Amino acid sequence: MLWERIKGGLRIAAMDEAAAERGLRIDQPIADARAIVPELEMREIDHAFLEQVFADFADWHSNASPIVSVLADNTRYGDLLLDITGVTHLFGGEARMLQSLVTRLQRLGYLTLGGIASTVGAAWAMAHYRPGSILAPGDEKSALADLPVAALRLSDEQIVGLNQMGLKRIGQLWSRDRAPLLARFGESLLTRLDQASGRLAERPTPRVPVSEHYAERRFAEPIGILDDVLMCAHDLAIQLGLRLETESLGAQSFHLFLYRVDHKLLTLSVNAARATRDPLHVSRLFNHRAERLVAEYDAGFGIDMIRLAATSLAPLGSTQLGAFETDDGAADLDQLYDRMTSRLGPLAVVRQKFVDTHIPERAVKLEPVIARTPDLPAAAPDPLLPRPLRLLPRPEPITVIAEVPDGPPVRMIWRRVGYRFLKASGPERIESEWWRSGQRLGFLLPGATEMAAARSEGSVGLSSLVPEHVMRDYYVAEDEGGRRFWLFRQGIYGHDRPPDWFLHGFFS
Amino acid sequence: MLGKTYHDLDSLRQRIAALESRPALAGVPISPERALHPSPLLPLPPGAVSEVFADQHRDAGAALGFALGLARGLVTPRRQAILVLQLADEAQETGVIYGHGLAHFGLMPDAVVLARPKTIMELLWAMEEAIACRAVAAVVADLGKLHKALDFTASRRLSLRAASAGSSAFLLRYLREREASAARFRWRLTPARSGPVPFDPRAPGPPRWRASLEKGRLAPDRPVSADGEDYLLEWTANGFVLADGDARPQGDAGTRQPALPRPRFAALGDRLSQTG
Repeated sequence: MLWERIKGGLRIAAMDEAAAERGLRIDQPIADARAIVPELEMREIDHAFLEQVFADFADWHSNASPIVSVLADNTRYGDLLLDITGVTHLFGGEARMLQSLVTRLQRLGYLTLGGIASTVGAAWAMAHYRPGSILAPGDEKSALADLPVAALRLSDEQIVGLNQMGLKRIGQLWSRDRAPLLARFGESLLTRLDQASGRLAERPTPRVPVSEHYAERRFAEPIGILDDVLMCAHDLAIQLGLRLETESLGAQSFHLFLYRVDHKLLTLSVNAARATRDPLHVSRLFNHRAERLVAEYDAGFGIDMIRLAATSLAPLGSTQLGAFETDDGAADLDQLYDRMTSRLGPLAVVRQKFVDTHIPERAVKLEPVIARTPDLPAAAPDPLLPRPLRLLPRPEPITVIAEVPDGPPVRMIWRRVGYRFLKASGPERIESEWWRSGQRLGFLLPGATEMAAARSEGSVGLSSLVPEHVMRDYYVAEDEGGRRFWLFRQGIYGHDRPPDWFLHGFFS
Repeated sequence: MLGKTYHDLDSLRQRIAALESRPALAGVPISPERALHPSPLLPLPPGAVSEVFADQHRDAGAALGFALGLARGLVTPRRQAILVLQLADEAQETGVIYGHGLAHFGLMPDAVVLARPKTIMELLWAMEEAIACRAVAAVVADLGKLHKALDFTASRRLSLRAASAGSSAFLLRYLREREASAARFRWRLTPARSGPVPFDPRAPGPPRWRASLEKGRLAPDRPVSADGEDYLLEWTANGFVLADGDARPQGDAGTRQPALPRPRFAALGDRLSQTG
């Protein structure tokens, strides 16, 4: 017996048949249940776990049909829905397919109900009220007529309301005038009615990416070793590559679905910078991705089917080798970046994208190199401005002695080491952008607390100082050893508090 | 004399390489134009691994600038990409390469790609993978600390890869210790005070480095000078040039300027009148 806390009381949420025979019922307080059956075994229901298991089930059934979805609106964890258009012949007809799917789950100890119909609504009604039945196309109206209105996937209030009006069977609704129904029960009732009869099309949302281009292999004996899986993936990549070639297509995303015997689906996805169908490249990407995920890989009791699917398709003509080929190595570079990205992670291989702003840490965005976006010409850097070769992601506070206010620094202490500057140039004043802050002239300084917060967060990226209230004077300062630093002073002298100095970058 | 010995050695190396069916490691042939190039550093022979040792992390900017300056000479129309590798958790320690500063080194920011692996093993893997690519001109890797994984075997692997693929690698180290490595060049690098800027003696001039070659030889035909190969280099728009040491400011006396900027207009006017 599983219990659940409902409205402040502990009540029975689910139980098995043996408990039902002893006179327990759902929603009974567990104190009563314990009085009836003292030896009752009780555990709290774990909804998150059940949802996860059900989602795994749903995903796994994509080995029977490409379009798998979960209708989540009525029952607690949803209902599994398979679009079996054009796949039944693989299972020897509709009846045998239904039987094989249902009995497979029943043998695993689950209570399973199923039905087949040509609309989603009718199939739901069949599975719930006439399990095991199969409707021929066109029979929906007559078959549904005898069923209670609850078979239309309605809300509880709608069902109660319909029953109060004496409308208990769906058949009674077919002939009613639609306008009063709409006024009394809202649009959803009519929508459900039309969806069940097939007048209105209903499209389920697929749980796993649907692709028309895939290659798959089923195994008589489940396999488990990762190397076998990857070898098989290579074979599938060759098959898929040939199929894509006949249609002059290439793909940017490849997904490898591993169907485990115990109803779980493992997914590996890789992305490529440019559309490809090269089997060698694709299988190498999977190898690198698998190397990264080797700790999480768990074949369970084995894998009995593997599918390789291609999405984000783009036309890719036949490549010409030889005379007029422009061999600049760009394709090699893209493949290199793909491999590095698949092994190191999508945000690990980046390029510098310029942003049209003067604030140094915002002027460059690190963009994944395989998802390149065009550069803005206005954002190109000005080569005349002194800019460092290395920028600290977070400017570091320093102690500076300047001989004159607004003059270049003379000494600084950074990371507990003192430096004496012999040369300096500047200042270059950079102010906050009025359209960002709306406080262009407000000399608000980031307090020490704010800096500490930024440091403790440990945020990575080129922007961490709040650039909203910035007025910075940047100096290039060279110390006795020839090291050149990019320093800035935030705030001005003559205010209540002295300005803060920061180190922001290094020149060569 | 030296040349003849070298050529004998080189021919032997070539024969061994032919027997082992892999490229000769040390004997990349140097064309006569290259040997006659006035700048002692450029172009560096491609297909070599160089280590650049700076003493401390605070010299990271100088080391990166030096490596990028060398890498720039290796960019060809076929090999345009330069990869910079840095461990993800060292970003705050040494700073991240900044696209706006690349233009000063004559590099297209678009050609420079930054990779941030999490572990040293991933970094070495990425480095080897990148060196093997025929469109990569150079790989620059920031290695701040001593790493066990980067031993002689690892550097030998990188050297063989670089020699067979023809792209170069630069390992930036911030250490005083030297480990055994198979790198072909080892530089010791310290930043040097910049030269004067016209009209503004207080401003930092173009960057300068003092680079001494601790291992390897740039041009095999040139005799080794007595004081080792030690250069004071300055960066110009055309690449490295040898800076003459005399132009450097002599001591502190010459460089200590009064805090308030002096009027410079008269001097400026004088110079203009002299030229006109």
